[in-house]
Amino acid sequence: MKIFSESHKTVFVVDHCPYMAESCRQHVEFDMLVKNRTQGIIPLAPISKSLWTCSVESSMEYCRIMYDIFPFKKLVNFIVSDSGAHILNSWSQEDQNLQELMAALAAVGPPNPRADPECCSILHGLVAAVETLCKITEYQHEARTILMENAEHVGNRGRIICITNAKSDSHVRMLEDCVQETIHEHNKLAANSDHLMQIQKCELVLIHTYPVGEDSLVSDRLKKELSPVLTSEVHSVRAGRHLATKLNVLVQQHFDLASTTITNIPMKEEQHANTSANYDVELLHHKDAHVDFLKSGDNHIGGNSREGTFKETVTLKWCTPRTNSVELHYCTGAYRISPVDVNSRPSSCLTNFLLNGRSVLLEQPRKSGSKVISHMLSSHGGEIFLHVLSSSRSILEDPPSISEGCGGRVTDYRITDFGEFMRENRLTPFLDPRYKIDGSLEIPLERAKDQLEKHTRYWPMIISQTTIFNMQAVVPLASVIVKEALTDEDVLNCQKTIYNLVDMERKNDPLPISTVGTRGKGPKRDEQYRIMWNELETLVRAHISNSDKHQRVLECLLACRSKPPEEEERKKRGRKREEKEDKSEKSGKDYELEKPWQESERLKGVLDREKEELAEAEVIKDSPDSPEPLNKKPLITIDEIPPVEKTKGPMSLLSLWSNRINTANSRKHQEFIGRLNSVNNKAELYQHLKEENGMETTENGKASRQ
Amino acid sequence: MPTVVVMDVSLSMTRPVSVEGSEEYQRKHLAVHGLTMLFEHMATNYKLEFTALVVFSSLWELMVPFTRDYNTLQVVLVTDGCLGIGRGSLRHSLATCNQRNESSRFPLPFPFPSKLYIMCMANLDELQSSDSLDCLERLVDLNNGEGQIFTIDGPLCLKNVQSMFGKLIDLAYTPFHAVLKCGHLTSDVQVFPRPEPFIIDEEIDPIPKAINTDLEIVGFIDIADISSPPVLSRHLVLPIALNKEGDEVGPGITDDTEDENSANQIAGKIPNFCVLLHGSLKVEGMVAIVQLGPEWHGMLYSQADSKKKSNLMMSLFEPGPEPLPWLGKMAQLGPISDAKENPYGEDDNKSPFPLQPKNKRSYAQNVTVWIKPSGLQTDVQKILRNARKLPEKTQTFYKELNRLRKAALAFGFLDLLKGVADMLERECTLLPDTAHPDAAFQLTHAAQQLKAASNGTSEYAAYDHNITPLQTDFSSSSTERI
Repeated sequence: MKIFSESHKTVFVVDHCPYMAESCRQHVEFDMLVKNRTQGIIPLAPISKSLWTCSVESSMEYCRIMYDIFPFKKLVNFIVSDSGAHILNSWSQEDQNLQELMAALAAVGPPNPRADPECCSILHGLVAAVETLCKITEYQHEARTILMENAEHVGNRGRIICITNAKSDSHVRMLEDCVQETIHEHNKLAANSDHLMQIQKCELVLIHTYPVGEDSLVSDRLKKELSPVLTSEVHSVRAGRHLATKLNVLVQQHFDLASTTITNIPMKEEQHANTSANYDVELLHHKDAHVDFLKSGDNHIGGNSREGTFKETVTLKWCTPRTNSVELHYCTGAYRISPVDVNSRPSSCLTNFLLNGRSVLLEQPRKSGSKVISHMLSSHGGEIFLHVLSSSRSILEDPPSISEGCGGRVTDYRITDFGEFMRENRLTPFLDPRYKIDGSLEIPLERAKDQLEKHTRYWPMIISQTTIFNMQAVVPLASVIVKEALTDEDVLNCQKTIYNLVDMERKNDPLPISTVGTRGKGPKRDEQYRIMWNELETLVRAHISNSDKHQRVLECLLACRSKPPEEEERKKRGRKREEKEDKSEKSGKDYELEKPWQESERLKGVLDREKEELAEAEVIKDSPDSPEPLNKKPLITIDEIPPVEKTKGPMSLLSLWSNRINTANSRKHQEFIGRLNSVNNKAELYQHLKEENGMETTENGKASRQ
Repeated sequence: MPTVVVMDVSLSMTRPVSVEGSEEYQRKHLAVHGLTMLFEHMATNYKLEFTALVVFSSLWELMVPFTRDYNTLQVVLVTDGCLGIGRGSLRHSLATCNQRNESSRFPLPFPFPSKLYIMCMANLDELQSSDSLDCLERLVDLNNGEGQIFTIDGPLCLKNVQSMFGKLIDLAYTPFHAVLKCGHLTSDVQVFPRPEPFIIDEEIDPIPKAINTDLEIVGFIDIADISSPPVLSRHLVLPIALNKEGDEVGPGITDDTEDENSANQIAGKIPNFCVLLHGSLKVEGMVAIVQLGPEWHGMLYSQADSKKKSNLMMSLFEPGPEPLPWLGKMAQLGPISDAKENPYGEDDNKSPFPLQPKNKRSYAQNVTVWIKPSGLQTDVQKILRNARKLPEKTQTFYKELNRLRKAALAFGFLDLLKGVADMLERECTLLPDTAHPDAAFQLTHAAQQLKAASNGTSEYAAYDHNITPLQTDFSSSSTERI
């Protein structure tokens, strides 16, 4: 259904003239005496509804079903006509609910039988209906605003349902002519207005209703085009339940509804609580919920519904839910429902069951063969939906398992840690608008992406790639450093964590360094701590741009971490890193770029396996002979580049060899500080002067507070 | 979507094609060559596609069966465009297709969405010399215009057949490659079957929307909260390794050359974000919400086969700002750390979902419907039942009474108010001697109020006016009231 089809705007015009106060002549017994109290008492006389009451309650039922199934974008404007038109609500979404309409109808009250019939007419209402169809709805306004210069693409169509008591066929024709003329006039007006829209298409549904037992003075007529803009149809219906049935049929036609009957619902008997009987409940919903039946031509449409009206319903069998387990079903559609008989006991039992949070699977009744579950009833936030489950064979049958694909052989993924990460990055609705400091609107979803970016700046995927994330002692720091802003307490906790690690190092506590793929005992204890400190520094450095307090954590870390010569080295490197971060802020490419080295080096077996890989990569990168192709590499994720490919890359056999020799040599002696810190074999001299000045000047000229 | 290849094996397909200086080919050979190329492409780049082969001349035979899925299908018809003559020929069938009855309906359009690709082992001139092309175009038209006719450019030879099938492959069988991202964690993936462009609203914005090749995760939601949402389609998300040319290497291909195998093994050993994500989604029972384009989202989750196999799957929601009413607007979903307190509770025992709509639906708000007499009778009986248990049931009695009163006023059904007032007065006279004195007071009070409302004019008829219980005090002295 297009959004701005005729069903977008429905105007009800209900006759409020004196003759509508007449009885529909269908009696309702309301005094049902209980058996043992009836002796000697005569029940009160039955009463009957007026034509007005019948019209109003039938149109309310139409609206009830419509609002249940389309709570948005399908709008009703209710007009009552007597000596003038009374418009009971507006197109505004706020006005679109039964309570509003009921209150407005109560204020109008029943027609006054003693009013002067000469000054009352349904025409007032019809004219007002055309007028109101020209008024723009908030949805039309929104669509026009978005489309700007293409605003004329937004359609303006509508439907007028007029319930009246006409005198004759020629009277009906007079009403049609009047609508036709009014549309013509108002379209002229609308053409020159920004606030009004021309009516492109109007469907007039005239319902002539009359007391039961009388002859109709008006004949039925199918939909007929009166002009390119206006079509009209005439229904001549007896009042009472006949009118209600007619409007029920119409609401289904107008909103493309279909009916499903849930059968075999077990329900406790009201009188005998220990017995249960099976009940049926009929639901209405959009007809697309039956699209699979129509497509496969596999109609087991179960004949007429219980009312005996000519209407098709699909019967589906209730499957008593066994567990409360949450499952993700493959669902191809979900459609809001409305019970046909909303207040009946079976209906309310079913809806209450669902509203309490249980879901019910529905089965296609088949004479033979396997059980086919085709639908599911489930409520979400007090609204019940009919879910269409895919019952056809999947085209994704028998796919390869994820363990057979890329990364499928790796066994030490940090599954639990990532689970924790996912829980921290769960979403929640923020319904009230929030504003940034600069006053612009803050989009919560962008905040969510932003948080993911922060939380993944340094996130090793496998256990053997990390030391710090395997250490309970690091948790207080690692959990807060990813935050956008730190409190003083957070900083204090980070500092405590660092002191604690220093303490551990002093006591020579063992570290959970991975020994996967290593030969021998693994690295020495002091080497282990170097790896750990390097990794921790990488983590903290990834976040120093967040705030000054993050910077303070880094400073604390640099001040505390082990061994002066290395500290020197780190500081130097830190500056380079910062510079790089400024260049490619938030891109996180730093971390990605480091990986190919770690992978290729590992493969070549040039370096000690046991070395912490990131640190390793840094050593290589900074070593004099390492070429500079890093930044020239295409920016694709490196993980997928098969290492074999890399040997074909820019690395020559010579550089491989010299790398190997250099690394081997570097283990035999302590590397010169100058060479370690060099960039392209050039080392900066007199660095200590800067530090002695009490300022750690970064190369991009930024000074950080101490 | 699955593919059925329908191959013409009629006699005319054996017509020789003159190729200079080489052995003689028949059109059939050209067709086989083209199909081989298509199947090879599928085997390497599109290997999860289900394919079936049907051959036909005057009869047909299913050579390779595949599936009974009728949701969507692509049909590749390979023919030389010689449509036969007389009864049963395409020309005759098309001419008479309006005269068919329901039981022998013309097969087109198929009763399911489909694409019909017709590969002609003939060039355009040849087809245009007869009305063959018109007939074939009619077929595509009959299939709601879904499909395309391919003809050979230039002379009939292997090379030109290849280029024709190449065009089909580009159109319908190009694998969809994307990058799955979660902040800085990324993985190259193939999305299978490839997502087709989607048209949101034909009226306002009829341009088909395609999904991004950057699939960006925006956050996570529990399976119970996302609650079996409706989706447009679902797709496997297969991690792939790309070489510099952007061709796939590694898993995703089955090729038994040794090089490929070792490449597969190496790719298998490199940690991949998809595997990590899949593992955690499965363990935690969660889904990842992924952004597919502007105002278009989907979800990633672990899908288990009936056996031990499981996979990372992506489902696409309908494009729009609010695909699932119970989650609200997607743009309004933000990180829990921005909330004042954790909406999931400190013990993970609550959830901010589902969102409650502003207005309740009719079945959740106790609406009054009196279209059937039984509806009205039930409501009157409820009042009566409570009336007989006064004063214990005073609150329910007035609640039901006010509900009836409101509905009667809205429907202009004032006779009912009079009727119920009469009934309450009668109940008053029927009270047993043992009844609490308050019962009589309340019944009389209620009846008076209903009568006042039924006159329709007084303040008692105001919709928002509620009948409140009569304030009585029998504890001190009942005579004080008189």
